[in-house]
Amino acid sequence: MKEGKKNIGLTILLILGLVTILFPLYMTVVIAFKQPSEMTNSIRGILSLPAHWSLDNFKEAMRVTDFWRSLGNSLFITLATIALSILVHSLIGYVLGRSKAKNKYYNGIYLYLVSGMFVPFAILMMPLVKQTAHMGLANEIGVILCYTVFFMPMNTMLYSGYLSNLPLALEEAACVDGASTWKTYWKIIFPNMRPMHATVAILTALGTWNDVMTPLVIMSGDKNTLPLAQLNFQTQFGTNYNLAFASYLLALLPIVIFYIICQKQIIAGVANGAVK
Amino acid sequence: MLKGSKVILFTALLLLGCFSVVGCGKEKESKKTKIELVHYKPEAVSYFEEVEKKFNESHKDIELKISSPNDAMTVLKTRFIREDNPDIIGIGGEFNFSNFIDAGMLMDISDFDGLKDIKQKYLDINENLKFVPTKGTYGVPYMANAAGILYNKDMFQENGWQIPETWDELLALCEKIKKVGKLPFYMGYKDIWSCLSPWNSAASSLADATVCKDVNKGKTSFSKEYVTVAEQMKKLLSYGPKDFVAYSYNDACTAFARGESAMYMIGSYAVPQIKSVNPDMNIDSFVYPASNNKEENVLTSGVDLQFCVMNDCPNKEAAYEVLRFLLKDENVQAYMDNQNAVPCKEGDFTLAPMLDGMKEYIKEEKVTDFQDHFYPSEMAVDAMIQTYLLDGDTKKFLKKFDETWVRYNRDLIDKVKKYESEHQSEEG
Amino acid sequence: MQENQNAAARTAGKKTKSKMNAKSRTFLLITIPIVALFFAFNTLPLIQGVVYSFTNFRGYGNYDFVGLRNYIDLFQDSRVGGSYIFTFKLAVVTTIIVNVISLLLAMALNSRIKFKSTLRGMYFLPNVLGGLVVGYIFNYFFTYILPELAKMMGFQGNSMLADSKTAWLAIALVCAWQSIAMNTIIYISGLQTVPVDIYEAGSLDGATGWMKFRHLTFPLILPFFTINLVLCMKNFLMVFDQIMSLTKGGPAQSTESISYLIYNNGMSGGQFGFQSANAVLFFVVIVVVSVLQMRFLGKKEEQL
Repeated sequence: MKEGKKNIGLTILLILGLVTILFPLYMTVVIAFKQPSEMTNSIRGILSLPAHWSLDNFKEAMRVTDFWRSLGNSLFITLATIALSILVHSLIGYVLGRSKAKNKYYNGIYLYLVSGMFVPFAILMMPLVKQTAHMGLANEIGVILCYTVFFMPMNTMLYSGYLSNLPLALEEAACVDGASTWKTYWKIIFPNMRPMHATVAILTALGTWNDVMTPLVIMSGDKNTLPLAQLNFQTQFGTNYNLAFASYLLALLPIVIFYIICQKQIIAGVANGAVK
Repeated sequence: MLKGSKVILFTALLLLGCFSVVGCGKEKESKKTKIELVHYKPEAVSYFEEVEKKFNESHKDIELKISSPNDAMTVLKTRFIREDNPDIIGIGGEFNFSNFIDAGMLMDISDFDGLKDIKQKYLDINENLKFVPTKGTYGVPYMANAAGILYNKDMFQENGWQIPETWDELLALCEKIKKVGKLPFYMGYKDIWSCLSPWNSAASSLADATVCKDVNKGKTSFSKEYVTVAEQMKKLLSYGPKDFVAYSYNDACTAFARGESAMYMIGSYAVPQIKSVNPDMNIDSFVYPASNNKEENVLTSGVDLQFCVMNDCPNKEAAYEVLRFLLKDENVQAYMDNQNAVPCKEGDFTLAPMLDGMKEYIKEEKVTDFQDHFYPSEMAVDAMIQTYLLDGDTKKFLKKFDETWVRYNRDLIDKVKKYESEHQSEEG
Repeated sequence: MQENQNAAARTAGKKTKSKMNAKSRTFLLITIPIVALFFAFNTLPLIQGVVYSFTNFRGYGNYDFVGLRNYIDLFQDSRVGGSYIFTFKLAVVTTIIVNVISLLLAMALNSRIKFKSTLRGMYFLPNVLGGLVVGYIFNYFFTYILPELAKMMGFQGNSMLADSKTAWLAIALVCAWQSIAMNTIIYISGLQTVPVDIYEAGSLDGATGWMKFRHLTFPLILPFFTINLVLCMKNFLMVFDQIMSLTKGGPAQSTESISYLIYNNGMSGGQFGFQSANAVLFFVVIVVVSVLQMRFLGKKEEQL
């Protein structure tokens, strides 16, 4: 292929299109820096720059949400969920991916797990609350286990789909050399599924980080995650939107930083997931 | 193969580990009696933190823990499911309270000595909330709220406007306000719950306090009782912003604070939000004059916060001690100052200045409970009112109200009918 | 591919029979605990939920079994009916909007442009934001900014969220804003599988623009189209966060989604039993819709 001319017109069009992405973010930043007394119900009151650029809102928001503790909880839950997902889902994805074509039982199990994707959370919520409490899991561990199960259908599908890219000969060779199935898996399959691990990690991280409902109902009241702490700003009779928006930005920061750092991998990863 | 099983064993252990960590996480045993109080007023968290501190300093044998979760009702309900009930709950006197009594979750606290200091009016209001007459007292009314019309005092004084005392006077005032180019009311009906504020105010003067119960008994219908209430709601729209469902409660508070309207039909709970926008604003309130007969007009006031002891609380005496402490005059006053609330306790308390216009009614106990305390939340009466205001067909709305009511209260109506028939046969 | 696998498995089986046994034992040992975990946290609560759907449980306290009453009520409840109509309307329209824009965007981002990776990165940004927060931000946009803009252009400046005729569209826009990113990426990866020489062959035949897309590109990315369609439909049928933060079901109850109704009346209100029945019905509906979609699109894929 020749190094063709870049399509400048299209580039400009795409850059203009970015307004739709950046404008709402601009609004958030501007509101987050203002004081409630600067707010008016008009277009100017919302879009104008704040009178002072002070970090007071952010300081206050960090105090109200107990930022570092909530951040710690969020990080712990997200990272543990990712680790457990990669470990557990790749295993089951491997087993099912290799067996479902020739064994109808495994195919049945595969369909059973994947159909879990369509179960609305609303129906599971109450029974799960009861169940986790009885098992002594009304805490982060319970939340992590719930997530591991929620993401299992999607991730199993991704892993077992990706497996078709890995030739069976790869394992056969190891098998002939006398390695056990287990060893073969860790030595050969697991490392070879690395691109899919990235995809799963990213999708799991996005699904976990912003979720409010699961930690709200599973964990007993005194532990917060970052999105849960956002609820602090919404009592029925008064919402300080300036503080709230400052706090939204704070909650977005970690995931946006994560995104900026691994942007390339994320986009490649999501693409991977689609290719199967 | 051996290795394989090892790793599986490891995974199993890991999972087991998860469980056991939780097991070990239990708090250290202490000799103190623990009392946990969960309430639904996160906006009053600073007050409750102070109370908790003071209580624990003055009580050697009881350790009080107060939590003020967001979305407290969800938290409470999930805790009930978990069978992890707190000792005391602080809730409003509304449909959930009725439900909790009906479900046998609350303790009968008729023997609590503090009840004698509570205004009889509010005990009666609580009594009326029971689905069917049941023996016992299940809550200590702590604070009441008062809903009516907030007004911009400075604007009223500048223009020489008088506080209206009848419905016609209110309409006349609105016309006057319109003439000087101001908006009489601001409405935040995008937040559907705020439709209920004027609705309750109108209904408590125009309809009987026992309407809902009478409907359950089959004695009357909403189509009969709520006509004027619905008509008034519709009439008032012409004195509000054009696009009345465009704005949320917050927007309305901001607009009122900025002097865009002279009045705002909302409870006193809105004052902190309004003042956050305009701290110097001079706000007062008056009773919604629903009737043209001054004597018929009453203040809408219900139990905003009450404390109930859960049925399975193991330390009743300690719980009572907490209640006694909360009811101390200085603590009651502190809560009032913090939240502009009206006390349910007898005594000489200083009311917040924005309740000046309602003082007389409060003193004379000319108050009636909010009608929506009898509406099941899932029936979404607030959304129905919003639908009606957009549509404007009173008859259709009230017909739907009657139908929906029966549909959502079926089990309750059965219960009431059963009670009635049993009761009658006893009498006969 | 599958045949190859089977053949390989067969030869492998002949060589090491005992190995195969060991392998299937290992597979079983892996499968059992994981399926048990899934059963415990998915199927067991689901079964419990189904049991609740036959009761008048409020979520606490005592309750009775009421037989099929909840299910009969479901079909007579106009609010439930309304929520299904709204949710399907929203899901279908949003799915169309999202897929059209994503496909266009993907083709633009896949062509020879400057700052390719930066632009791709920026367009993916909405996807990392939480649904609730996005809703709150757009609330301001719809209430204040859009009406003003409309007035400037000479239209009537009413808030889209305040009119029951347009509120659903506003929600559709917000949902689309957020999910276009993910779908675009999936389409981009689809477009990258299209070999370049196919276009060259096409241009020799004189095919241009739409024709090229219709007959060359689209058939090749049809599998990606299927994935996007099924996932979009499923996600939008379960829409909740956007409703919660934008309209709370209003105005005039015109935007109550199924999930919103189940949560609001089942969890916050006292209709737990009834809404469990609704959730069971909803589950069945989602499965049916997804299976139908996959069947239909699968046939299309075969035809091509």
